[in-house]
This record gives sequence, structure tokens and C-alpha cells, in this order.
Amino acid sequence: MLNSPANFQVNGRAAARPYCMAIHHTELETPPGREPLPEAERPKLDTLRERLQPLKELPGSSIEALYAAQELFSYVPPEAITMIAEELKIPESQVFGVATFYTMFSLEPQPPNVLRVCRDLSCHLAGAPKLIGALEQELGVPRGHASPDGQFIVKVVSCLGLCDMQPAMLVNLDQHGPVMPDDVPNLLDDIRNGAG
Amino acid sequence: MELVVTRNFGNPKPWTLASYRESGGYEALERVLKEMSPEDVTELIKASNLTGRGGAFFPTGLKWEFVRKDPKTPRYVVVNADESEPGTYVNRLSLELDPHMTIEGMIIAAYASNAERGYFYIRGEYGLSHERVKAALREAYDAGFLGQGICGRDDFNLEVEFRRGAGAYIVGEETALFNSLEGKRGNPRFKPPFPTNFGVWGLPTAINNVETLAAAPAIVMKGAEWFKDLGIGDAAGTKMYCLSGNVVNPVCVELPLGVSAREVIMDHGGGVPEGRTLKGFKPGGASSAPLTPAELDAPLEPKSMAELGTIMGTGGVVVFDDTACMVDVAYRDALFFEDESCGFCIPCREGTPNLVQICERILHGQGTMDDLDLLEELGASMMASFCGLGHFAHQPVRGAVSRFREEFEAYIHGGHRRAET
Repeated sequence: MLNSPANFQVNGRAAARPYCMAIHHTELETPPGREPLPEAERPKLDTLRERLQPLKELPGSSIEALYAAQELFSYVPPEAITMIAEELKIPESQVFGVATFYTMFSLEPQPPNVLRVCRDLSCHLAGAPKLIGALEQELGVPRGHASPDGQFIVKVVSCLGLCDMQPAMLVNLDQHGPVMPDDVPNLLDDIRNGAG
Repeated sequence: MELVVTRNFGNPKPWTLASYRESGGYEALERVLKEMSPEDVTELIKASNLTGRGGAFFPTGLKWEFVRKDPKTPRYVVVNADESEPGTYVNRLSLELDPHMTIEGMIIAAYASNAERGYFYIRGEYGLSHERVKAALREAYDAGFLGQGICGRDDFNLEVEFRRGAGAYIVGEETALFNSLEGKRGNPRFKPPFPTNFGVWGLPTAINNVETLAAAPAIVMKGAEWFKDLGIGDAAGTKMYCLSGNVVNPVCVELPLGVSAREVIMDHGGGVPEGRTLKGFKPGGASSAPLTPAELDAPLEPKSMAELGTIMGTGGVVVFDDTACMVDVAYRDALFFEDESCGFCIPCREGTPNLVQICERILHGQGTMDDLDLLEELGASMMASFCGLGHFAHQPVRGAVSRFREEFEAYIHGGHRRAET
């Protein structure tokens, strides 16, 4: 649990915590409703702290900081949000707000291959629904869920600006298109073999 | 016809400094720094009638002048490469193939608006663009086109920082982009004050689209009259039009601003696939209301598009053939805006899901004729939105109803049932 106003202390005496005041954790805590970082992953927090140091010189770099966390953990764990707030000296609520505003950040652990398939107009007309269906069938899970082998997740997203390759998709940040439903098994194999 | 912003695309490795220099790159910057004052540059750009290619078509020279005349310092120049309009990929091609042209334009903009700091902001999904632009910025620094004392001029410095977004359409709105640069949620800010006086970090900021900046070096080299004459009629210069949807060749072509939709779709896109007929098209991305084949000869430029009740937008032409269902098209656009509304103001946050619900109702055969009136009413209340997203989100749906009303009525009267995709 977060420090509640009741047990907030100043100089050893109980005090009311101002609403806007940042909480400085001696030990990073997990907000209610979110899983704490697994024990095995915790050493990476030191790496994150190191990577945040150069960002202190760049005002407004919270997006880069969140990218750094996501690169290390595959997602943005609650402990990373607290650490970014402390290191960059910005309110934790702002970091959380940024992490939830931008669609490329995930607050849940993600498989190594995130397949972003465009669902907007041009790709839709060019057959995106069939492509999404083929991916779901081949992976055996609906969009938004990790595949049973833990390697893939399909996300149906807004226009990727790849309309010249309609229907298009991103494998992490690599552009693919046009991808026809028949291409899906080979594409997934290529990614599994590291050639995606 | 003469190409302006895409002229280097066919060169070998056009994204490198060596290739860009070989085709005359950075000569415009050198000329500006040797022969022209910042006032000369803004006068030249004003005379060329170059306007913002991101879709607002605001006079670029005027923008730079406003920034220069604001006494607050440091002033900023920002490249807006948060291209996210569905059906639009022109900036992506420029960034991947010729990033130096935009950088040169950015430096010229900084000189004209007396700015000493800059940001190059690219949307998060454009991975290849990130690599190419970062490499190009490094090359420009190494060659002395960026940094302190540019081209030997002790009085002209420009420090540029590369930034990337992380997936948000609304950040393409300039004030939302400033918030994003400041490390905040990408909610738009109230205007006025305008970016030219109160931009990133509250300082005067010249924020321009990639294509706008990329046109600046050519104007310096060849003159304002030359650029103006490239356009058709009153429209000045060229525009990158990009095609997608039910079209044979989904390609991007640079053509005179004011070219007809017929030329873009039929001559360059190869029309609709064989055996199908053209049903309609969108002139500029998802925000623009669709037009019918009867309007194919209308010039694709801001004024005539406004007269037709749509917008020129980004130049992302989306083509529909007879297999496309216009109710479904309207529904797709509504879904997009529902997803991309930032949730800050009520008319947009509540209006966009309502658009989706009404479209869904009609698609499922449960709509009534009152729903069509309700769409009009909803659109009118969404005009109270805080920023342009809410002002435009209902236009594609209402535009589809006004031009393809019979399709909506067919659903309402039970003529159509369509499976959910």
C-alpha cells in the first residue's frame, strides 16, 4: 500500500501529507491493483537508474525514460514509474499519465514480438480484417492476448502511415506489407527464426 | 513537371549527406547565410505563397516573421513529423528517403525566425525514419550545418534535439506536440496564445510540417516566382499526394497544388481495380468528408475543397470502389476518432463514442431515420470541442450521410445486413 496520509511523518512526527507532494520511497512500492516486479527482474532496476542519468539533463524526456524502462522489462512496471518520477523530478502522476496516454507503452508484460496491425480505412479496404483473422487463427489467441508460446501478441492499432503497403503491419518497429492472409505462416516462421 | 520535395528520391542512397550534397544540398543554406538577412528570407517565403503542408495551409513566411518579432528568447523551431492521419504517408517517405532536405529547411527556418534551439519530433511508429533522421542530424552536426557558429557565422547557432512520440494521433496538433515535448500527456492547449508567441516551454516557436520545411531550400535557390508558378491557378507550389484504398497503384506522387482528383486517381493511381467502378474518394485523410465521382474534376487545393464542404487535409487520397460500403467507411472513421480522442473535453470525449454507436446501430439494421438527424445535431454540438480533432471527427460521418444517403437509408430500411468484421 501507498503511504496513507495517516502514517505520513515529518521528523518522526505524524503529519498530513500535502496532496501534491511526491512520495519518496526508501523502498519502491507497488500501487494497489498492479503486480510488483518479479524478484528476478529487480536487478534491472539499477540498470534503469543508470540509463535515466543522461535524461536528467534533457527537460521533458519522460517519454524516452518510459521507452528505456519498456526496453529493459518489456513493459513499464510500477517500480519504474516511481523511479522515473524520482530521478527526473516530476510528479509520479504525470509519469503514470504519460505511460497510459501513449499507446506504445504497455503496463503489462509483453511478448518479445508485438505485431501491430493497422485497422484504419486504407488497410481495412485492402483486407486488414482477413489479415487480423489469419494472425489470430495461426497464433491460436485473439488480438490483445499473448500467444501460447509467449512469443507474439497481435495489437490492432490506428493508421501506421504504411498505406502504400496496405494491408500493413509492424513487427516491433519493422515495416511489413502488403501482408496477405496466406503470407502469415511464413512471416511468423521468419520472425521465430530471427529473420523477421 | 519540375519536382521540389521528391526530386532526390531516385538517387542512390539519397538519405546520406554525400548524396544530398551531390544534388546541391545545403547550397541554399550557404546562400542564405552569405547573402540574406532573416528579413530577406521571410519576405522571400511570403512572396512564394508557401503554406503549411500539414493541412492547415497557414502562410509559412508569416509564421516565421511572427516568431522573429517576439522578443522572448530562446526561440524554437520544431519539425512536426507526427504524421498519423489515416491514408497519409508523405512525411514518412521524406524522412526515410531525404531527411537532409527537411533539416536544411529547418535550419533556414531557424535563421529566418531567429531561433537557436530546435526539436525534430517524429511519431513513435516510424522506426526507419528515426534511424535515418538521427544519422542525418549527426552528419549535419559533423559538417558544421548544426551546432555553434553554423557555416562559419559566429552569430548563428542552432542546437537540435531528436524526439520521438509513442503513439498518439492528437500529438500532431501543434500545442499537443509541445506538451509531448515537455514530457506531458499530449492534450492540446488553448489558443490563443498561438505557438508563434507561446510554443514549447512557453517560448516563441516556429512549428512546421516536414513537407513545408523541405520546400524552403528550393525556393531559396530558384526564387519565389518559380515556386508560385508551379501551382495551378491561385495555389502555389507542389504537394505530395498519396493514394491508398481501392486503387491499383497505392503510390505517392508530387504534383502541382490544385491538380484535379481525376489526374491523381486515374493517371497516377491507375484507377480502381479492373471490373470495378469508382464510388467515391476522400481528398485528404480520414478527417475529410468523402466526395463522389461527379466531383473528380475539382482541384485538390484548400479553397475549392472547402467550397465542396470537405477539406484538402494532408493530401492522403483514399479511393473507394463499388465493393466499399460507405456506412462501414463512416464507421471506421468514427472508430478511429473515438480511439484517438484525448479525452480532455466533453464534446469530443462523449461525441466520438456516440458517432460510433450511431454507425453501429445503422450497420446492424437497428437504425432509424432519426439517427441521421441525430448525427447532424451531434456534429453541431461537437463543434464546441476544445481542438480540431473534435471539430473534424464528425465531418467524415456527416459527409458520408450527405453524399451517400441512400446507402444509410438502405440499412435503415432493412435492405442491407452486414456481418461485423
